[in-house]
Amino acid sequence: MTVTEHRTSSATGVQQPPSVRLAAEGVRLAYGDKVVVDDLDLQLLDGSFTAIVGPNGCGKSTVLKALGRLLRPTSGTVLLDGRAIGATSTRDVAKVLGLLPQTPLAPEGLTVADLVARGRHPHQSWLRQWSSDDEAVVAEALSWTDMADLADSPVDALSGGQRQRAWISMALAQGTDLLLLDEPTTYLDLAHQVDVLELVGRLHAEKGRTVVVVLHDLNLAARYAKRLVAMKDGVLVASGTPEEVLTEQLLADVFELEARVVPDPVTGTPMVVPVRRLRG
Amino acid sequence: MSTTAPTRATTPRSRPRRPLRIGPVSTTYRLRDVLVPIAVLLVLVLAAAAGLGRGDYPISVLDVLGTLVGLGDETQRLIVFELRAPRIAVAVLVGVALGLSGALIQTFARNPLASPDILGVTGGAAIGAVSVIVLGGTGTTAAGLLGGIGVPAAALLGGMVVAFLVFGLAWRSGVDGYRLVLIGIALSAMAHAIVNYLLTRSAIWDAAAANVWITGSLNGRGWEQALPLALALLVLLPAALALSRVLGVLQFGDETARALGVRVALAQGIVVVVAVCLAAFAVSAAGPIQFVALVVPQIAVRLTGGSRPPLVTSALLGALLLVSSDLVARTALPESFPVGVITAIVGAPYLLWLLVRGRRRSTL
Repeated sequence: MTVTEHRTSSATGVQQPPSVRLAAEGVRLAYGDKVVVDDLDLQLLDGSFTAIVGPNGCGKSTVLKALGRLLRPTSGTVLLDGRAIGATSTRDVAKVLGLLPQTPLAPEGLTVADLVARGRHPHQSWLRQWSSDDEAVVAEALSWTDMADLADSPVDALSGGQRQRAWISMALAQGTDLLLLDEPTTYLDLAHQVDVLELVGRLHAEKGRTVVVVLHDLNLAARYAKRLVAMKDGVLVASGTPEEVLTEQLLADVFELEARVVPDPVTGTPMVVPVRRLRG
Repeated sequence: MSTTAPTRATTPRSRPRRPLRIGPVSTTYRLRDVLVPIAVLLVLVLAAAAGLGRGDYPISVLDVLGTLVGLGDETQRLIVFELRAPRIAVAVLVGVALGLSGALIQTFARNPLASPDILGVTGGAAIGAVSVIVLGGTGTTAAGLLGGIGVPAAALLGGMVVAFLVFGLAWRSGVDGYRLVLIGIALSAMAHAIVNYLLTRSAIWDAAAANVWITGSLNGRGWEQALPLALALLVLLPAALALSRVLGVLQFGDETARALGVRVALAQGIVVVVAVCLAAFAVSAAGPIQFVALVVPQIAVRLTGGSRPPLVTSALLGALLLVSSDLVARTALPESFPVGVITAIVGAPYLLWLLVRGRRRSTL
């Protein structure tokens, strides 16, 4: 039903940029009997950079999994370019949408070059395992993420920040214009968090990727993302520009935090200065 | 802007992969992935030739090689082809099947301790085989039925049934390797309890025969064991090699694999079916020869230095371990020993040496 609506609008409608790349319509997500996210409506526009924020256990990573087709909604639909993502083959999804899990697993002994090369998997076949296109794309991804020098090093020998760069490089080699990242800055010190988000920001600005990222750090989210989506207890509470979303009232409602919001002295984006935790 | 510089100079390196393109076909390879299996193959040929030459009527390795390519006299040909070749052929085929099966299961479970033994193949096969040996001669209806099946078929059936039971119980819209290993250990323990019960209820000579089968032996094995195994490998070997590409992505974990376009549950299912069939056919031919499927992939990955057990090298190394163990079992010891005793004695110290020497962790 919704599928046809979207098809006709994109086929007959006059160019109305930017189009909706990824959308959730009345999505309910559950692990077994436990409903984690309910009645979620979300639209992600082409070329946007969105950060999903919220307290621990609010369901933000779960939403990202559903958007990336790793989790099937118990009701509602996720639409990728207007098509129900559940009805699209895993391989076809992997050609347009890349996803990095929170703590991806690299087998011991695997080199950075091998890892990044795996990003080409959805484009390869049994006979065509390593075309010159693949080679060029991987070389470009390595150099673009500044990992070319480390190409022949094993991933397990890298520092946390380098490892995250290697995974982003793989996602880049996958060549998808949609990229979903689940807390790419976990376990990194502040300098490397900034480093990784700079890289993601460049993917958005220079490569035109549509990015959705789950982030814990509100100040970094406000600085790098163009739009924020705030969640609490499995429900979408607010969405909009960082200025619209990060208000003192929202911080009190969603994070149970009394805080001042001031302009970031470097970028002018909203910056949260915590005062104390509110206890309900 | 980049803050990733400091450890760059000290990070270890390995050699890059080389591209290979012929027409529409393209792939990459590392020199070690090509040279190691060739070297193993050469040693295997020598070991097999030595195995063909050893016995009551010794023939030199050179003469054996000559006989194999059509030279050699009538006696040599008779002894090599008729008397000794079938046993060596079974050793090679069983080794290939066990090595491949172990490599598939260890990669799939992301656990170097996983092997067909732990998946229940060995336990199930032992129930099948021991039932036939112990109950076959008792004259009951069940005995008649079992006797008609024969030991190899009963072992094949038992191994597959228990392995798929393990897999079925571990299945929760996909299989977690850790859960699979735990369930496999539990069901294997039950299977061995059943085998022990059967043994205590059996006549002493049946128990002795059953015990030899449980150890795994190449004694008295000939073309009738080699043929079904060869036919099975004709299907399973290409299937295993075709899985290589998807295994490389599966080892990243379910979520990343799915994000890279792999239908994870389907791929896992195929890997397990191929691995279980390989192990079940091997066990049905020679009994549960312990340790080959466990140790061979780990030795192979240390020789080639990749990120997962290489399939071709594991297969060849499995054959080499079995052929050389058989050689030791037949010649270095006073009487013909079951080969299963030797594989552990030959294989374990070698793995220990690699573990002590290498800087690689003991995990996959």
